[in-house]
Amino acid sequence: MRPLPPRPPLASLLLAIVLASTAVAVTTRAEEAEVKVERVKPDRPKLATLQFLEANRDFVRGELDRLRQKPLARRGDGEALDPRYLEYSKMLAAILADKDSAQVADEAQRRRELLASITELGDLEKQLDLMDRLLQEQQGRLATLEADFTGRQQTALVVVVTGDPGSTPISALALTLEGGSKVTIPLRQDQREALARGGVLQVFHGFVEPREQVVEVTLEGDRWPQGDTGYLTLDPTRDRLTFLKLDLSALRPAQGATSIHARTWLHETKPQKGEG
Amino acid sequence: MTPTPRPARLAAAASLGLLVASAALARDVTPFAARAGLETARAGAIAWAPDAHLVYLENDEAVDEHGATPRWGYLFYSPGQDKLRAYSIRDGKIVAAEFVEMQLEAPPLEAHWIDSGEALAAAERGAGARFRHEHRGRLKTMLLMRGAFDEQHPDATTWTFVYASPEGPSLFVVVDAQDGAVRRTWRG
Repeated sequence: MRPLPPRPPLASLLLAIVLASTAVAVTTRAEEAEVKVERVKPDRPKLATLQFLEANRDFVRGELDRLRQKPLARRGDGEALDPRYLEYSKMLAAILADKDSAQVADEAQRRRELLASITELGDLEKQLDLMDRLLQEQQGRLATLEADFTGRQQTALVVVVTGDPGSTPISALALTLEGGSKVTIPLRQDQREALARGGVLQVFHGFVEPREQVVEVTLEGDRWPQGDTGYLTLDPTRDRLTFLKLDLSALRPAQGATSIHARTWLHETKPQKGEG
Repeated sequence: MTPTPRPARLAAAASLGLLVASAALARDVTPFAARAGLETARAGAIAWAPDAHLVYLENDEAVDEHGATPRWGYLFYSPGQDKLRAYSIRDGKIVAAEFVEMQLEAPPLEAHWIDSGEALAAAERGAGARFRHEHRGRLKTMLLMRGAFDEQHPDATTWTFVYASPEGPSLFVVVDAQDGAVRRTWRG
């Protein structure tokens, strides 16, 4: 749905191999599942949502517009101010400034007197305790923010490709997620060689909606029929990282994209306690 | 205790029956209050657009007498994409997600709003229960949005209830989502 920013090609490839290998090693394989690649897009019944809004959109919009502030076409021309009025405000500001100065002097005097007393020392201690407590609370809030913004795993999908397609090389692979745009990943010669040597290529890493959805996979290549597409039904788990592996080693042009062997599994990182 | 006249009891039972029957039609999924589905919907919205915020919600299936329904619809707006996307939540899962093609410059809902059960109770006390009994009415829709329906507080987040009746115009009840006060009622 929302891919993460791309990295430089070679670095991306190497990093992908390392990341994917590491991820495979630490992943709980118990949650691995085979995914069927279908030739025809699965037809799921569409549930109607927000039916009142849909049927009464003009009414709802009208109610919203009625209460909104609207700019008027008429110009709000102003008249010249009497300069005396401006002087009055300056005089008032000067009066207030003098008053403040007097108050500050009084305050300083009072503070000196208070510091001389033993009671003031007790108050200072209380103030220090208070500051200490505020600091601790602030640290707690910072820890919460850190957990929310650096430690929280959002629902994400990583798609990796493995396997050597052999005599039927592919030049590009395209992915289309529901509600998202098509992402085409060209496979360069060095990447194809990496796959032939048993490498793993990461072709997508992005946020996805945690719901059942159909992912389209299209293969492109000289020996592949134009727009050969397979459909996989995925249900990414909320706040988890789902891996989808597309194994191209058994690709057959006659069977098309349905000859892709696809599997999914979850990364072991689970949501932290209290994340809902 | 004064016995309730038979016709009144029958009417009350029929109204309650309608509500219960509507809810029963929604199969065996447990009905839930509006706020309970919010985080699931938000998880989908954030995956779509990090700046998405909730601007509207309404029941997607019949509401029961506790203000719960098996399915709620949540509408999010992304200023960055200038798009609206709806998520329908049922049984703790997103069962529908779609873009909504309309111009709705609704402000984000306030963080605090009373849940659907409390809001429905206020609407029923306000005028809803009486309308149901007197006009064979039923609650058709309850929706939450900000900046509409309440002239006195144009920036307020409000629940709006629409009671339909076969006998005439619908009843609209607007409830303040902060304190549960009934702000406005009208027939239309």
